[in-house]
Amino acid sequence: MAGEPGLRLVPSEGGADLDELLGKVARGDAQAFEAVYDEASASVYGLARRVVRDPARAEDVTQEVFLDVWKKATRFDATRGRAKTWILTIAHRRAVDAVRRSEAQRRQDSQAVADEISHDEPADAIVNAEEAGAVRNCLGTLTDLQLESVRLAYFNGYTYSEVATLLDKPLPTIKTRMRDGLIRLRDCLEGNR
Amino acid sequence: MNTELHTLSGAYALDALGQEEVEAFRTHLEQCQACRIEVAELQATAAELAASETATPPAALRARVLAAASREPQLPPEVRWISTARARRWMPRLLTAAAAVVVIVLAAVFGIGHLIGGEQPTMSAAASRVFHAGDAQTSTAHTSNGGVVTVAVSRQNGKMAVETDQLPSLGSAQTYQLWTVRAGTATSAGVVSDLSSGAAMPLPAAGTTVAITIEPAGGSRQPTTRPIVLIHPRQI
Repeated sequence: MAGEPGLRLVPSEGGADLDELLGKVARGDAQAFEAVYDEASASVYGLARRVVRDPARAEDVTQEVFLDVWKKATRFDATRGRAKTWILTIAHRRAVDAVRRSEAQRRQDSQAVADEISHDEPADAIVNAEEAGAVRNCLGTLTDLQLESVRLAYFNGYTYSEVATLLDKPLPTIKTRMRDGLIRLRDCLEGNR
Repeated sequence: MNTELHTLSGAYALDALGQEEVEAFRTHLEQCQACRIEVAELQATAAELAASETATPPAALRARVLAAASREPQLPPEVRWISTARARRWMPRLLTAAAAVVVIVLAAVFGIGHLIGGEQPTMSAAASRVFHAGDAQTSTAHTSNGGVVTVAVSRQNGKMAVETDQLPSLGSAQTYQLWTVRAGTATSAGVVSDLSSGAAMPLPAAGTTVAITIEPAGGSRQPTTRPIVLIHPRQI
């Protein structure tokens, strides 16, 4: 899918600009906010699409996220992490909240959930991650259970108890796999830098 | 470190905890620096997963977002106490001991808080005594109006002092006012009559947050504007 618009991984060297821009947004700079939108909206919207599925609702989530970014830029602390992480953490939480609100009823039927997973959830997280070479390679270092646990939580918005039900594993196992899976991913990504 | 809670860091970074667990885990985070560092790293890792999911949003969304933002005020900054070169001037020995501080957001207090007692305590230029005290702990914070305040706490003196000479000057119609905020109640700690002389006040009780607002000249009985800085000094 090389060259397809919007499916490119934003180069990491763009991150420094985002940190600086967010500092300007914190001081009320509307132009900097536009630049932040231009820099980060594809990631935010892409993630929202992935988690909530419905394009119109993904737009709503994207709008909520950027309003948060505008309002809370004053609270962003560059010493604690990158702007990109901060924005995508907000985006993921917003997307997950949206999907949990609207799918709360459906989620009570675990069979429906299982059907949904098996029918329209090929491992496209992994496929799309191939755009991001390092992420792809590193996902390959995870065990199947680590990968499934991380994927179902992050891209489907399931809680770890829901993931435990889906994968038919004990709760402590799943929460541990989420943690050691992310740690392995982190260590692998660091090793690639 | 609470081992059972600690193992939730991965699920937390993936937003995979239920609401009650999120709150329990956040409480745990406030007390566990190692956990905060781990969570920050795992959140950064999770964000890398998101980076593989980009999709260009519809062009109309941009205008909608920008218009919506232009109607929304921004929140005042939270302040984390940091040691800086400015603090170094006062207390080189204690630099490494400068405590990390838990940030507490008390903006809501300023909508509902009420002032106990009507008098405005007199500010003192004796601030430097606090800064020079042998046990002084000093921290510097940036304010939302582009200034810097340095606060010193001395248990020996039983005082807290604020250095205000790096705050932007206000016209004659306005003044900086200090508040202590505790249990949802804001209490005036005095107005700053002279930026160059700083201010000293009795050491606030443990768990007190200190705030500075811009008020009409003479000060207000309760905060009428959003604080330009909110600080929760752990060393109090």
